[in-house]
Amino acid sequence: MSTETVKVCTANFGKGASDISVYKQLGGYSCVSSKLFDLSQFEIIDIVQRSGLRGRGGAGFPTGLKWSFVPRNTDKPVYIVVNADEGEPGTFKDHFLMKEDPHRLIEGLTIAAWALGSRTAYIYVRGEFLSCIETLNKAISEAYQAGMLGENIGGTGFSFDIFVHRGAGAYICGEETALINSLEGKKGQPRLKPPFPAVSGAWNSPTCVNNVETLMAIPWILENGPEAYAALGTLQAGGTKVFCISGDVKKPGVYEAPLGVPLMELLNSPQYAGGIEGKLKGVIPGGSSCPILTAEECEKATMDYESMASLKTMFGSGAVMVINETRDMVPLLKSLGNFYAHESCGQCTPCRDGAGYVQRILQSIHKGEGHEGDLELILSLSEQFDGTTICPLAPSLGMASTAFIQKYRSEFESYIQKNKDKKASRISSTFRPGAFW
Amino acid sequence: MNKIQGAVHYVANNRLQFEKGPSPFDPQKSAADQVGHKYKKQEQPSLEEILPKLETPAIKQRLDDLLSRYPEPQGALLEVLWLIQEALGWVPREAIRYAAGICECSPVHAFSVATFYTMYKHAPTGRFLLQFCRNICCEQKGASNIIAYTEKSLGIQTGETTPDGLFTIVQVECLGACANAPVMLVNDDYATDVQDSKLSMLPGTSLNEERVDKILNWCRERAKNLKEEPTRDALGGPILGHKGHPGAPGATAKVQSKNYAPPSPVLGVQAALIDGGVQVSWKCAPDFTHLLLEKKEGSIWKQVAEPPVRTTEIIDPSGEKGSVYRMIATSGERVAKPSLEVEAK
Ligand SMILES: Cc1cc2nc3c(=O)[nH]c(=O)nc-3n(C[C@H](O)[C@H](O)[C@H](O)COP(=O)(O)O)c2cc1C
Ligand code: SF4
Ligand code: FES
Repeated sequence: MSTETVKVCTANFGKGASDISVYKQLGGYSCVSSKLFDLSQFEIIDIVQRSGLRGRGGAGFPTGLKWSFVPRNTDKPVYIVVNADEGEPGTFKDHFLMKEDPHRLIEGLTIAAWALGSRTAYIYVRGEFLSCIETLNKAISEAYQAGMLGENIGGTGFSFDIFVHRGAGAYICGEETALINSLEGKKGQPRLKPPFPAVSGAWNSPTCVNNVETLMAIPWILENGPEAYAALGTLQAGGTKVFCISGDVKKPGVYEAPLGVPLMELLNSPQYAGGIEGKLKGVIPGGSSCPILTAEECEKATMDYESMASLKTMFGSGAVMVINETRDMVPLLKSLGNFYAHESCGQCTPCRDGAGYVQRILQSIHKGEGHEGDLELILSLSEQFDGTTICPLAPSLGMASTAFIQKYRSEFESYIQKNKDKKASRISSTFRPGAFW
Repeated sequence: MNKIQGAVHYVANNRLQFEKGPSPFDPQKSAADQVGHKYKKQEQPSLEEILPKLETPAIKQRLDDLLSRYPEPQGALLEVLWLIQEALGWVPREAIRYAAGICECSPVHAFSVATFYTMYKHAPTGRFLLQFCRNICCEQKGASNIIAYTEKSLGIQTGETTPDGLFTIVQVECLGACANAPVMLVNDDYATDVQDSKLSMLPGTSLNEERVDKILNWCRERAKNLKEEPTRDALGGPILGHKGHPGAPGATAKVQSKNYAPPSPVLGVQAALIDGGVQVSWKCAPDFTHLLLEKKEGSIWKQVAEPPVRTTEIIDPSGEKGSVYRMIATSGERVAKPSLEVEAK
């Protein structure tokens, strides 16, 4: 299979499309015309549903279905919030999508706003991406000047504004209800659901949270038809996905490929990552929260929601992290333990304290101070995250660490062997009150 | 049970921090610890000292613009804190109180927000804040060695500032640039190399010891040539042409007119032959206020039924094989385009 893949989101990469005149020359903004304005809200949602587009932010929820949940005629404004808080370790697609092609995001947002009856959208960008924010602000200003945003767009009664909101460094704000809290000027702590944001989100109004990539696929779908988009992917989910390939490959970077592409093709094809460096040991297929795949499992895997689910992992955000034989798994999992313990928002006890336990146990294993039974302790903590927390942050740590330990157990054990006191009980030194606050 | 020792010292990310934590472990520092506000006491300037820097016409204008973007002033809190950090270099306690006044929330709320997010600095830092990613992809490619190398060559630990006030090192989580792992941010710029005397992050370049040296030298060179770091707009520059959020203070935007989009035609109409006629089914849309089912007779359309608005199917007893149907929806005052024509099969 060496046919050139259709580029839905990344077609304008490297062409200077952050300038509105270049973007228009490349065929951009053609949807903000009678092509859109002749269609009703429900026709647009129907088109998105038929395209089979699923959310690209991690959860993979069908986008058209999510849009159809937003109530109308409630006398409350409808908000669209773009989730550009890309913080999942291994993920960096939105960073480059916004930098290279901000106008496509604006166009996709405009279509979404028409379909949802939204007047205002916020793009929530993580604080580290200041240069993306600068690009976006410039692009939005250009769009206002060109009459693509503002009041009475295209001579219709349709009005729409986009604002950029700079986050300030908290991974948990990627979770959609935490994102909304953060937008409201609160601590970024997830809310209990229901009510779901579609019904009661930002300022208690209906709110639709979508990932950058999801929205950037919409103009192509409207332009080329939902059937063409669906035909690019697998039966269950349509279209293409932007993969972020990092780690031990020849050409790490952002690559767009149709859903259902075999994982090994993604890693080896010169079109994509161009080959693995060294001998493959494992791949994390969808961002740090997804269980790792061993080299044998990688041979069978295709990059779509179903294949990933059958291998007991997740498609996630499309962040493919490649690990070769020379890498030590213990410090890698330790860095994940640090990450989750640091990013826990502190609302749920199992997460706030449990992630801290896991972090410290992993740290002591890494230092050569591990005890026998530590691995069972982590596995049992991981089990206790499931279903006991408000958001999936702690269960993500549980899934990631369970897979690491189950699949590469001998490496962790050899670290524990280094401890002379490994038979001593850990409980007294680990679970003292105060030790983990 | 061990007794809990020490006084509660600080609350960040909802974690109580004890002055002398009894933990035998040495957890890796979090970014919040590292900017210096957690363990060391920080001299706080008084309101009188900071007000002249905050009450400038330029900042006033930007605050007005920010407040006009959100339906409630509190929405602007994060952005106001960013503006303060841009003006002062960090967010002292009195400035947080000031932000609370602007955003009409309680000072303690503003404080809880300012300490939740790790990018607000609660102590002054060096001129170049070096933020090293220490997460999984960067760790895999040797971030800890690079951090140790930088610490050694600057003679400081993570969280400290060099005596000449040039550099502060912190460790942060994934920076969203893992293809270039290991990476760092120098203030707000990604850096893995220096190219044409600018910091750069080209595809395929990642930090190594030589490049770290290059970047540090670039910073030193810059400090020699430029007396002060030019301020950079913390919110990425203005958005020109917007009129704000309808109803927000200072905004002139109007609310969305209700009927801006045409009403939906009936979608997904299907006609199936069953015993006793033809069953016509369709998708219901919430904006329908009236529905009509029509059948083609010769070349003219004849009304056959007025199905109730919330239903999605009806049986036409007079229907037979080959009958052609269409539906017409009304939404309020406005009549939608007829649906696609379907033939009973
Ligand atoms: C802890 C956590 C972090 C998340 N981080 C992100 C993120 O950085 N970017 C993102 O787009 N979605 C993130 N999500 C997923 C969002 O909650 C949400 O599913 C997504 O924004 C929906 O958009 P989509 O339907 O377009 O995918 C995160 C979810 C969780 C639980
Ligand atoms: S699981 Fe963790 S991050 Fe999520 S709401 Fe609970 S404490 Fe916060
Ligand atoms: S892990 Fe270092 S940038 Fe993502």
